[in-house]
Parts: sequence; structure tokens; C-alpha cells
Amino acid sequence: MDRVKFILKRLVYLVLMLFGMATLVFILTKMIPGDPAMANLSQRALSDPEIVAAFKAKHGLDKPIIVQYGLYILNLLQLDLGTSIRTNTPVLTELNRCFPATFELALFAIIIAAVLGIFFGVISAIKRNSVIDQIVRVISVTGVSIPSFWFALLMLYFFYYKLHIMPGPGRLSSIFSAPPKITGMYVLDSLLEGEPAKALDAFRHLILPGLVLAAFTMGLITRTTRSNLLDVMGTDYIRTARAKGVSQRKLITHHALGNALIPVLTVIGLGLGNLLGGMVLVETIFNWPGVGQFAYQSVMTTDYPSIIGVSLLIALNYLVINTIVDILYGIIDPRVRYQ
Amino acid sequence: MMKKKFLAGALVAVMALGLAACGGSGSAKSESGAETAAAAEGGSTLGSNGSTVVVAVESGFSTLDPGYVYEKYPPLVVNACYETLFKFNGKDDAPQPSLADSYEFSEDNKTLTVKLKDGITFASGNTMTSADVAFSIMRCKNLKGSPSFMCDTIDSIDTPDDKTVVFHLNTPDSGILAKLTYASMSVLDSKVVKENGGTDAADASTKDTAQTYLNSTSAGSGMYVLTSYTKDEEIVLDKNPNYWGTATNVDKYVIKLQGDANSQMMMLSQGDVDVAMNLTDDTMAELDGTEGVATINTPTKSIGFLMMNMDKNIGGPVADPKVQQAIRKAIDYPGMRTISGSGSVTPNSFIQVGFLGNSGERPDDYRNVDEAKQLLADAGYPDGFDINLDVVSDLSLEGVAMTDFAQKVKDDLAEVGINCNIVSRAWDGGYGEDYRDGKLGFTVMYWGTDYNDPNVQLPFLPGQEVGLRAGWTADMDPELAALNDKTLNATDNDARAAVLKEIQDKTYENGPFIVLTQAPAHVGYNTRLDGVNFSDPYALDVTLINIK
Repeated sequence: MDRVKFILKRLVYLVLMLFGMATLVFILTKMIPGDPAMANLSQRALSDPEIVAAFKAKHGLDKPIIVQYGLYILNLLQLDLGTSIRTNTPVLTELNRCFPATFELALFAIIIAAVLGIFFGVISAIKRNSVIDQIVRVISVTGVSIPSFWFALLMLYFFYYKLHIMPGPGRLSSIFSAPPKITGMYVLDSLLEGEPAKALDAFRHLILPGLVLAAFTMGLITRTTRSNLLDVMGTDYIRTARAKGVSQRKLITHHALGNALIPVLTVIGLGLGNLLGGMVLVETIFNWPGVGQFAYQSVMTTDYPSIIGVSLLIALNYLVINTIVDILYGIIDPRVRYQ
Repeated sequence: MMKKKFLAGALVAVMALGLAACGGSGSAKSESGAETAAAAEGGSTLGSNGSTVVVAVESGFSTLDPGYVYEKYPPLVVNACYETLFKFNGKDDAPQPSLADSYEFSEDNKTLTVKLKDGITFASGNTMTSADVAFSIMRCKNLKGSPSFMCDTIDSIDTPDDKTVVFHLNTPDSGILAKLTYASMSVLDSKVVKENGGTDAADASTKDTAQTYLNSTSAGSGMYVLTSYTKDEEIVLDKNPNYWGTATNVDKYVIKLQGDANSQMMMLSQGDVDVAMNLTDDTMAELDGTEGVATINTPTKSIGFLMMNMDKNIGGPVADPKVQQAIRKAIDYPGMRTISGSGSVTPNSFIQVGFLGNSGERPDDYRNVDEAKQLLADAGYPDGFDINLDVVSDLSLEGVAMTDFAQKVKDDLAEVGINCNIVSRAWDGGYGEDYRDGKLGFTVMYWGTDYNDPNVQLPFLPGQEVGLRAGWTADMDPELAALNDKTLNATDNDARAAVLKEIQDKTYENGPFIVLTQAPAHVGYNTRLDGVNFSDPYALDVTLINIK
């Protein structure tokens, strides 16, 4: 019952926060210097007042800002995020197009990051100050500090260009056409289409960008797991359990790891939120048509409705993920109460 | 036990990844489409894609609706799916009739009569008539989008019969044929477009709703039809089954929207793409010696230039013609070309190399530091001077940041005693407004052509749009200013070339503009293809490409 109340309360907060976000982002985007007409019309077209006036009228930019805001909120209440100034397509359609690509990649990356990060973190804690610990620390520090665009190019260079064992940029090879859109995630949609070869090809295209994106979060998870596990291993109840003769293996899996994983869950949640916001450079190098590329192009063209749409999507991601993480806290550690 | 299970699980995950990665070893090529397609279709070259040609080009296609198209690369797709009255057939200097069979200007050059070819059909099977031409061009004009300014000189269009189109111009426009080659002037199947919300009425800017339809399919008479467009990912073109002309032997194009030069280079070397449109000097060097790959370095029509404001209150010392000439003499033009990349050139003035009437390139040994110092001394600045050099921070000239050119200008001018303080601002952060309002005293900027005709450079003349940004009013040089109208009136190519040459002669060592470089395009392609070339109007004219 507590859990249901907690979720309902969170949903109300979510709606309120989204409207707060919409207002904040609307104000911020209007405060930033920049004129959509300047960014979207050619230099010669800008010299034609008739074209500039038609452009502003078409996108409602000729109305007072307060009217623009009122219209925006009114549309938002009807789940209408407006029309992209750059592409003249509803923002919701654009987000519906690019979010599944980002979601598929982010999900893949966070699974790799979580599995490897927790694995390395545990190994590193168990073998504290050993050679293995040092190696894992080098890997995690490298993962956190390596620039993603450079790592992306390096991965492509070796695994695609030199070793020929991985596919190049893109979501599918040229011989395959995109699967009919069901979820927008190519691996799943290809399987639903009954095309396992296409699904495998789509999966192989996920690996390199997935590893690149996983590197940073994996490094954080490894370090968090290691330090938390070491902290927990030094607590009284672990010492007591050890004194009672509980084996080292059981000590970690039954007593220590559960407690050590709570902060790790937060890192995983934040990592997923971060990945779902889109990674411009990695998406560009791997030709991944995700949220990052859309956000970048929207900012470069002062496309207000799209900028606000992407901001709301990112905010929504974090709010949903944080709610899920909070629920998971209670499952991992029953002492955590929903308040 | 749990520990073992956990470790085993993690190891299985790692191994699964490894296997998935290495599972491609040996079969990667076949799965990536390269060898499979070639083998299945008897492809001639290892790594080729059979009768499909894959092109990698930078993204940023905001629309594929011809009425709105103005970006650099969408004309590649529009030119494949639609046709225009006139076209540049591989040579960029003068437009040739395409859908037009013949054309004639009236004596006062204010009426252009075009006769259409017989037997032209759209992909839908509909026959093309003069009404389709009038609809398409009036729609572009009335949509009031970025390319609409190209229709500014068109007052109205008459269609006395199905094969005749009469353009009534409000002023003589010698560039009208070139404008009619531009992607936005493509002839649309008016019946299909109207059925999908298109209109050419005066209120088209608010009433036309055909853009969504034209973003996902085409309604033209071109060699190909738009089969699918996955935004920011790829565009697929299939052969038009109802094509009225002679088609090439390429059945299908897959346009990969992949702008990163390194990725393009790798994909080209692996045979995953056949044409890479956005290579750089570095990536071109990496391709040297790669079997089955050829490269092209060729100048585009984009120029980088130095602007010195003629208004002393704004330009300060650079408003002085002697100082302007000193700066002209102090610039290291070959050095600018090194920054710009292989294949760049330095035109004599603001009429680019490759345009009708271009008078050639500025000699490499034009620079003369001693002469520049003497000119400065004559102008009253024997010890040089300090000046702000404005530059736009977020724009580039064919991939090279404008700030790189500003730094080179600063270095060159330091040798003659001019100390530049680089002031860098974003286009939207005030630079664009100041530049357009003529408030910049001394700046490095770029200019890309809106359509492929030397008339697009006339705004650089005194009293014209760009000239006025440099404070260069018509009364400062009436003789030169008069050449604007003279060029617009010269519908005969020889006469126009002569006027354009006169403009270049008069601005070679005179005026507020110094062209630093004409930037290059770097294209790489699989040698199984014939007819690949960079084209300014279409980026890549796919209608000229054949598989050997």
C-alpha cells in the first residue's frame, strides 16, 4: 500500500515538475541571444522582409512572448509539443523517431556498464591492493577519463577498419532495410518481423557504440561498487558474521553485496538518465540518429519547440528513472521505507 | 555458490559480447552487405554493393520538399528525383536546356519564353505540362521559404499552351536560367502535390501542407524516386520505372547521412560506401594507395574573404584605400590555401574560379611585405596600427573554422606592423547582426553561393547588399556600381563574361574585399564507378554515375 501511495505521489510530482521545467526552459530559451529566422533562413532570404515576416508568422514568433508562452502551455496540456522550426514536423513525431534509437543504445550500454562495473568492482574489492585491483583501477579510471569521441574513433579504427570484425557506423548494414516500426528498436523490431539475421546485424551494430558509451558509466560503477563493498566489509555485522565462521563467499553474496549495491543503483540510474539524453559526438561518429543529434541540430538552429521538447524528455527520463530507483531501493533493502 | 554463479554470469556476459563481436570475423563482410551484395549480383569489385551505390554525406537535411530546399546537400536527392527546365550537365559554367527544348528572351530581356520537350512523364505516369512548371515555380515563390528570393525577379508566369511557359520578369535577369537549374525550381507533379495539400496560391506560406508528403516521397520526373527517408540516418532512392529519358545502370542509391570524415574514410576503404562526400585533407592522405579508391580535390564556390569597412568611423585605418592595398599585399595566399586544404584556389576577386567570366587566380608571388610596409607609410602608418579583427566563432568554410583564417590574417599582418586583436563571437551572439547591419570594421567572413551563377556575386559591388555591409556606397565608385545592372542585362553569355571580367579587373586591387581562398571539396569514391564528380549545384550529380 505504501508503495502504491508512493508511486501515485511521485506521478503527481512528475506532472508538476514537467510543467515547471517547460516554463523554465521556455524562459531560458527566450533569454538566450539568437533569432530563429537568422539561424534558419539563408543570408539572401534574410534580406527579404516579406520572407522573414512569413517565417515569423508561420512559427508564431511575431506574437508577444507571453502569448507564445500561453499557447505553448495550452498545447502542452493537449500533449502537443509544437512544430519544429527546422523540420516543420511535430516535435512529438521527431522525439518518437529519435528516442527509440537512443533508448536501444542506452539500454544496451547500461547493461554492459552495470554487469562489467559490478563484476570489476567486486573483484577489485575482494583482491584489494593486488595486481588485479590495480588493473581494474586502471580500467575504471581510463573509462571515466577517456574522451568518448576519441574512444569511438579508436574502436572504429581497430575493430572495423583494421581488424574487420565489427560493422561500421549506422544501425543496420546497407543490405537490410529498416524493420517496420513497432518499438523503434531495431533488434526487437527485426525479431518481431521474423528476421533473425537482421536482428543479429542490428545487435552487432550496437556493440561498438554501446561499449564506448558504457565505458564512462562502467568506470563509475566499478569505483562505487569497490569503495562501498570495502566500507560494508569493514562494518561490525560483517565482522560478527566472519567471527561466527561464515565463509568469505557467503559473506559477500549474502550479507555485503546487497547493502553495497544501493549507492550503485543510484549511479546506474543517473548513468542511464545521462545516456538517454543522447550523446552527440558518439551518435555523430556512429551515425546513430538519436536524441543527441536532434538536440544538437535544434540548438544550432534556435529551434525553440524542439529544444523545449528535448529538455522535457530528458527531465522525464530522470524523473522516471529516479522513481524506479527509489522503488528498487526498497526491494534490495527492506529497511528502506516509502515516505 | 552464489559467488560462483555471479562470476560465471558475468563471464558469460563478457564472452557473449566477445563472441558476438568476433562472430563477425570472417562473416563480417558478408553480413555488412559488402560482399553479399556483390556476390549475389555478380558485383565486379571486392567490397562493392552490386547495382546499388551507397553515398555517405553529412546530415542536416531539414527537408526534401523542393519548395523549401536550400541547404547544401539536399539538392543531391532532389536532382535525382526531380528535373528542372535547365541544368548544369557536369560543367558548371553555363546552364543547358533539360526539360526545356528551346528558350528565347524578349528584346528588353524582361520576358523569357521556354518551350518544353515532348513526352516527359512523371513517376506517377502523369504527363508533364506547362501548368506543372508554373505551379512548381509559383509555389516556391509563394511559400516564402529560404529559396523564394530566387523568384523575386519573376512577376508572373503564363502558360499559353501545354508546351509553352512564359516568364514575365520585373527586371532583366541574366541569371534566370541558372536560377531555373536550382533544386527549388524543380518541376513537381502538380496533380499529386495538390492532392497532398500543395498550393501555389499567394497564401501558400500558410496554406500549403504538402511538405510532410514530399519529405517522405517524391513527385517528380527524375531518374529516381524517393523510396524512404529515415531522418538523420539514410535516404533510399529507387529507379523511376516511368523515367522518360535514358537512365544510368545504377538501380538504387542509399544515401547514408554520416558526416564524420574519419567514419566516411573507413567506410569507403571497407567498401561499405561507394562515395564519401565530406573527406578532409587528413583522411584523403589516409586513403592514398588504397586499392579501388580514387579521390577528388576540387574547388567549391565557397569563398573566405576579408572585409574592410569603407566608413572611416567604423573601419578606422582600414577604410583608407592605401591601407587596404597594403593588407592585400601582406596576405600570404598560398598559406591561406594550406589552411583551406588541397584543391583550394585564390581567385583574383569575388567571382569564383569555375564561374562564367572568371579571370583566373591571384599569382602565388603576389605577396610583397616591403611594398605593403611602404603603402602603410604612405598612408600615414609607418609603424603600423592596432585594430580589432572580428570573426564568427561557430561557422566554418567547408569544415575549416573561420577563426583559423583569422589567426593566419593576424600572423600575416603582424609582419607589416598591423597588430590585430581577434574578437570572436557566435553568429547568433551578435556577430551576425553586426555583420548584416554593416557595423563591423574589419572582419573575416565566408560566402556560399545560393545558386550556381556568377550573378550571386554581384551583391559584393558598391551599393549592393554585401558592399553596403562594408560601407561601400554606389557613389564611392559609380562606374563599378553601374556594372551591376549591366551584368543583369547581359543575357548573352559572351557579353556577360566580358562584364564580369571588367568587374574583376576593377576589384583586383581596389575595394573593401580581399578573397583569401576558394575552399575545396574532398571526395573519395570506389573506382567501380564512372562519372563521379563534385558538383556545386547538386553536390553529386547521381544522374551521371554509372557502374563500370
